[in-house]
Amino acid sequence: MAAMKAFWNSPVGPKTTHFWGPVANWGFVAAGLADMKKPPELLSGNMTGAMCVYSALFMRFAWMVQPRNYLLLACHAANESVQLYQFNRWYNGPATPVEAKDE
Amino acid sequence: MASKLASFWNHPAGPKTIFFWAPAMKWGISFINILDFQKPPEMISFNQQAALTTSAVIWCRYSVVIVPKNYNLAAVNMLMAATGIYQMQRKIRHDNAMSEGPKIKR
Repeated sequence: MAAMKAFWNSPVGPKTTHFWGPVANWGFVAAGLADMKKPPELLSGNMTGAMCVYSALFMRFAWMVQPRNYLLLACHAANESVQLYQFNRWYNGPATPVEAKDE
Repeated sequence: MASKLASFWNHPAGPKTIFFWAPAMKWGISFINILDFQKPPEMISFNQQAALTTSAVIWCRYSVVIVPKNYNLAAVNMLMAATGIYQMQRKIRHDNAMSEGPKIKR
């Protein structure tokens, strides 16, 4: 009970922006996971690549910011993994080569 | 002029720090999304655009609530929200045109 109270009143708790900003960013992770079942041709290499750079930079940002924001760090670490996986899927293309049409 | 440049260069949130480059890179996401306006709507990921828009709208609000207010952060998130909304409506219009009732291929 005391732990919950401490969390509720924490300077990085749910009454502050330090909490809800990172929570919003978990949407990227959820979207990435949902898109795992999409065929690789439908992925945007641009956007996935940008997300990889973005989350790498924000992992560092979350570590260095005062106060240190572990929730943001976790969120971007998760997103980095998901986006790297998706980027790899996009880069390698479909599992079986698409047949060339006969002229 | 030189001293202004020096104070920018040495600022605790200046170009030698992550506090500069991480938000700066966030502009890149919006520009990439604008590049993706050229792509056919079948290739748009509704999930991803919804995630971008939701996050951007929340950050727009919070960037003017934090101390000090960060108008650069507010601006980049406003652009991100605008590009996300534009992509989503492209997707919705296309998917509606392709099928009878409202149906979004996520």
